[in-house]
Amino acid sequence: MMKSVTLLSSLVFMAILHMGCNQGSSSEQGQNSEGKKLVVGATMLSMQNEFIVNVADEMEKKANESNVELIVVDAERSPLKQVEQVESFIAQKVDAIILNPCEVEASSPAVTKAMAAKIPIINVNSATSAKPTAFVGSDDVESGRIAMKYIAEKLGGKGNVVMMHGLMGQAAQIQREQGAQEILKQYPNMKLLAHQTAGWDRAKGMALMENWIQSYGNQINAVFAQNDEMGMGAVKALTDAGLKNKVIVVSIDAIPDALQAVKKGTLDATVFQNAQQQGSKAIETAIRIAKGESYEKETLIPFQLVTKENLAKFLN
Amino acid sequence: MTQPPTPILQVRDLSKSFAGVKALDNVQLNVQRGEVHAVMGENGAGKSTLMKILIGLHTPDAGEVMFERSPLPYGDVHEILKRGISMIHQELQVVPELTVAQNIFLGRETTGGLFSWLNDRRQEREAGLLLEQMGVTIRPGQTMKYLSVAEMQMVEIAKAISNQAKIIIMDEPTSALSDKEVAALFRIISELKKNGVAIIYISHKMEEIFEIADTITVLRDGQYIDTQPAANLNRNSLIAMMVGREIESLFPESVPRKGQEVLSVRNLSRAGKFTDINFTVHEGEVLGLAGLMGAGRTEIARAIFGLDELESGEIYIKGQKADIHSPQDAIQHGIGYVSEDRKALGFIPGLSVKHNITLASLPNHSKGGLIQDKTETEAAAKMIADLKIKSAGMHQKVTYLSGGNQQKVVIGKVLLASPDLIILDEPTRGIDIGAKSEIYKLINRLTASGIAVIMISSELPEIIGMSDRVVVLSQGRQTATLSKEEATPETIMAYAMHA
Amino acid sequence: MPNLCSMIPTQKPKSTYLNQVGESYKTRLRGLSTYGILLAFIAICIVLALITPRFLTISNLTIVLTQVSINALLAFGVTFVIITGGIDLSIGSMVAVTGVVAAMFAHPDTYPVGVPLLMGLLTGLLFGAFNGLVITRSKVHPFIVTLGTMTMGRGLALILSKGRPISNLSDEFNFIGGGQVLGIPMPIIILIVFFIICSVLLQKTVLGRYMYAVGGNEQAARASGISLNKVKMVVYTLCGGLAGLAGIVLTSRITTGQPNAGAGFELDAIAAAIIGGTSTSGGTGTMTGTLIGALLIGVISNGLDLLNVTSYYQQVVMGIIIIGAVVLDSWNQNRNK
Repeated sequence: MMKSVTLLSSLVFMAILHMGCNQGSSSEQGQNSEGKKLVVGATMLSMQNEFIVNVADEMEKKANESNVELIVVDAERSPLKQVEQVESFIAQKVDAIILNPCEVEASSPAVTKAMAAKIPIINVNSATSAKPTAFVGSDDVESGRIAMKYIAEKLGGKGNVVMMHGLMGQAAQIQREQGAQEILKQYPNMKLLAHQTAGWDRAKGMALMENWIQSYGNQINAVFAQNDEMGMGAVKALTDAGLKNKVIVVSIDAIPDALQAVKKGTLDATVFQNAQQQGSKAIETAIRIAKGESYEKETLIPFQLVTKENLAKFLN
Repeated sequence: MTQPPTPILQVRDLSKSFAGVKALDNVQLNVQRGEVHAVMGENGAGKSTLMKILIGLHTPDAGEVMFERSPLPYGDVHEILKRGISMIHQELQVVPELTVAQNIFLGRETTGGLFSWLNDRRQEREAGLLLEQMGVTIRPGQTMKYLSVAEMQMVEIAKAISNQAKIIIMDEPTSALSDKEVAALFRIISELKKNGVAIIYISHKMEEIFEIADTITVLRDGQYIDTQPAANLNRNSLIAMMVGREIESLFPESVPRKGQEVLSVRNLSRAGKFTDINFTVHEGEVLGLAGLMGAGRTEIARAIFGLDELESGEIYIKGQKADIHSPQDAIQHGIGYVSEDRKALGFIPGLSVKHNITLASLPNHSKGGLIQDKTETEAAAKMIADLKIKSAGMHQKVTYLSGGNQQKVVIGKVLLASPDLIILDEPTRGIDIGAKSEIYKLINRLTASGIAVIMISSELPEIIGMSDRVVVLSQGRQTATLSKEEATPETIMAYAMHA
Repeated sequence: MPNLCSMIPTQKPKSTYLNQVGESYKTRLRGLSTYGILLAFIAICIVLALITPRFLTISNLTIVLTQVSINALLAFGVTFVIITGGIDLSIGSMVAVTGVVAAMFAHPDTYPVGVPLLMGLLTGLLFGAFNGLVITRSKVHPFIVTLGTMTMGRGLALILSKGRPISNLSDEFNFIGGGQVLGIPMPIIILIVFFIICSVLLQKTVLGRYMYAVGGNEQAARASGISLNKVKMVVYTLCGGLAGLAGIVLTSRITTGQPNAGAGFELDAIAAAIIGGTSTSGGTGTMTGTLIGALLIGVISNGLDLLNVTSYYQQVVMGIIIIGAVVLDSWNQNRNK
C-alpha cells in the first residue's frame, strides 16, 4: 500500500519538475522588511481563471518593484468568503485593499466595511454597487460591442450569428451580451439565430457548437463567444466539421491559446483586456491613496481588438 | 346447547393470489376473545399472507374479514393498528437508536409541546411500569441496540400491550428466547387472555403449541384444512394434518462413524464473551453446543470462523495450529459457518439462488478470474437438487424464497466450499417441520461422508436427538462435556444453569 | 413444479443452457428500472425525431455518441463503486488532474504518444488507489473521503498547471479525442471497447460478482470469505483509471489540458448510473443500464440544443429525470421487499 502512495507523490514530483524545466522557475518574492513598508491586501475573484491570475501576477510584480507588501487571497468565486477576507484585512489594519469582486451586489458589503474602517479600497476589473475609493478596470459592455462590431463589418452587415454565453447571471456575461445586442440592433439584417450558455468552458463550447452545426448547418455565418475558452471550443467543432473557413469566430480575453489561434487563422479575432495594466494600475492607485497623493477616481483601461494584422504587439 | 359468542375476528372464504399463484384459497378463521389461537402449517402454507392481510400489508382478492362485527379496513395499516390488531414480527421491527420507552410509544408519543424531555421522562415511567407488570427487568431509558434479541422482543410485546391491542399476532415469538424467557412470555399471554385479548399464535414448536394454544387452525398449501380445540389433538395427529402424512421419527437414526480429529480448540477466550473453552470434533461427528441465551455459543462459533478476533487460545485443524483472522482464513482451513442470523450474515438478498450458492467457492468455478458459467451452473444445480431447494428457478433472487429454502441456500453455499468442518448455528430456527426433518437428514449425510459438524441449538430435543457429544456452556464458561448417553434434558439444563 | 436441476443428468447440457439463457434474460427484463429507462430512452428519441428532422441523422447521432463518451467512461467507473455501496465524488477532479498530467507530456516532439497516455492513466489509477486506501483503512464514509480528495485533486491540477491551460499538444495525442478510424470518431471506439470490458468485468468475473455481493450485504459477503478491503481497493482504483481515461479523451478532444476541466462531471456520471438503474444502496446495477443513462442525458441535452431551448429549462428537465429515476428505483426496491 505504501508503495502506491510513494509512487503517486513521485509522479506529482516528476510532473512539477517537468513543468519547471519547460517554463523556467517562477520569480520569488524577495522581501526585506525595513522601515515602514506599505501593506496591501488583495482578494481575487478566482485564481482558477487565467485572466485573473494574470492580473494578480502583474500586481505582485508591481508591488515588488515598489517595495510594497502584497497579500493575495483567493475568494474562489464566493462573495461571502470575499467579505470575510476583507474583514480580516481590516483587522490586520492593511494600508489599502484591492477588491476583485465576485458579485455586483453580494460583494458590496466588503466595500462598505472597508470604507467604514477608513481603509481605502480599490475595485479592480469589475464593479460593485457600493462605491469604492477608486476603480481600475475596463467596461465589459465595450468588449461586447467591439467583438460584434467586427463581425458585422466582416459580414457586411448581413448574416446569421450565434452567441455563446458565459455562466448566466454573472456581470461579465450580462455586460458582454448587452454590448453585443446594442450592435445587433444597429444592423437589422443581422439575425441572432441562437444563443445558449456554455459556462465559459471549452468542452461545453465545443459540444454546443457541434449541436448547432447539426441544427443549422450552413446557415451560420458567425459565432460570438463571450470568452476565448468557448471560442476555442467552437473553432475545434467547426474545424472538425470542415466549416471553419465559412464561419467567422470572435471571442474575448486574448488568452495565449487564442492569440496562437489568431496567428494560425482559425480564430478570426479576440478582444484584448489588458490584465497587465489593470494589475499595475491597481497597485499604483493603492500606493498613491495610501501615501495621501492625488489619484484617479476611475481608471478605464481600453479594450483592443486583436486580429492577424495587429497580432504582433500582443505576442511576446 | 349454548350458542358460542360471536368471534371477535371472522375470516370467511379469503383468497389472495400473487402473480397467478394462489397463496390463500378460501381460507376460514374464527378467533374468540381471550383465546390463544394457533395457526399452523408448513412454510408456504399461507400463514404469513393471512397475517399480512390482517394487519393491512396486503389486500385480499376475495372473501371478507370482519373485526368486531365490522369489515376490516383492508390495506390501512394505521387504522387497523388503531382498532386493535398488533403483530409481533419474527424479524423484530425496532428502532435501534431510540430508547426502550421511545420504541414502546413510537408513533403515539404523548404530546407535550416544546418540553419533550419531560415527555421522555413520563414515557419512561409508564414504560417502566408496563415492563415491571410483565416481570421483565429492562431499563426503559436503555438504548434499544444494546438489548439482546430476547429483550427486544419483550419490548415489542410491551408495545402491543400498551397499544391496547384486542388481537395480538405473535409470529414465532419464542424463536430467540431462552426457556426462562419463554415461561415469562407464557405467563404474560395468560394475563392477556384473562383481559380478553385474543392471541393468534404462530410457531413451529409443537411442545409450545400444546402448552399454550386453546384452538388450532391448520392451513396447507394455501388451503384451509381444519379447526380443532387443542385438547382434541396430539402431536402426531397435528403433524398429519399439517403435512398430510405422519412423520414417524423426526430425528433419523445415524450410525456414528468417529474418525480423525478435525478441530481442536484450546483455552479459547474473548473478554466478556467466553473463557477457557476446550473441545475437539472428529470426522463424522456431531458436537452439540448447548446453553441458554447469552451463554456464548454464537460468539465461540464466530471466533472460530474468524468473524471476531480471539483474545487468547489456540485453534488446531487436523493437528496443525491454525492462524485464523478472517472468514477467508477459516474457509481456507476447511471451516464452514451457517449463521443463526441468515439475513445479516447468510445470503445476499439481491443475488440469485445460483449466485448465492457459488459465492464462497467462486474461484473454483473460474479460470483466470473469469467465471465459467457452465461449471458454476452445474455446481449450483447439483446443490439445489441435493438440498431440494424450492424456488422459481436458480435465477430467482433469494429474497423471495421461504425461510427454510433461504437456509438451505446458505447451507449449500457453505457446502460448496467443501468444508471438513461445518458449524450450524440454530440451523432450524424459524423453519417448518418438513424442512427441519430435511436438515436433520442432511446433517446425517454430511457426517456419513466424514464431515465434522458443530451444532448450536436452543431446542433441547434437537441437541439431544442429533449430537454425538454435547458441550454445555453457561455464562461464557464450559460447564460440561457430555456423551450421547449422558445428555438427557435434565442434565443439560442443570449444567446450562450452573453458575 | 418440475425441478429444473434434477433434469440435468438426463438432458443434454445444450438444452439446459437454452433454458438458462431464456430464464436469465427474463430475469433481466424483470429488473424494471433498467427496462423502464430503456423504454423512456426510446420514447424520448422518437419524440425528438418527430419534432426535429435534424435529430435522427447519422451525423447528429455520431456527435451525440462522441459527446456522451466522456460522461459514460466516468459513469462506468462510478457504477462499479456504487454497486459496492460506495460513492466517488472525486472523479471530476481526477479528470482535471489526469488531463493536465497527460498534457504536460503531450507537447509535440517531446515524448512518444504512449507516454502522456500512460502518465494520465497511471495518475488516475493512483488517485483512485489513494481513495480506496483511505476509505478501507480509515473506515470513514466514502462520501466524506472523496469529497476531500475532490478538493485535493482540483488543487493538484491547479498546482501542476499553475492555473493555466496547457496547450500546444501533439497531433498524435489529439488523435485520441479528435481522430477517426474508418469514419468512426475515436471517443466512440474507446467508449464501445470499455463498455465491453466493463460489462465483462462486472458480469463474468469473480471480481464483478464480489462487487455485487459486497454491495448487497457486506457482512454476508465477508462471511463468504470475500475480502472487503480488496474489493473496495480494486473498485476505487478502477474508477480512478476510467476517470484518467476520460481525462485523456477530454484533453485530447479540446486539445488543451485544463485545470478547471471536469467540474461537476461527477454529478452527471452518478446521475447516469442512477438513471440506468444502479441502486444508491448498492448491490444492483449494470453497465448497459449506465450506458443507457448516459445516452439519455446526452440525447436530452443534444435535443434541447437542437430545439434551442434555453439552458435554464435544460437544467430543470435534467433534474426531473434524475428524480424520476431515483423514485423509480425506490419503488422497485419497495416492491422487492
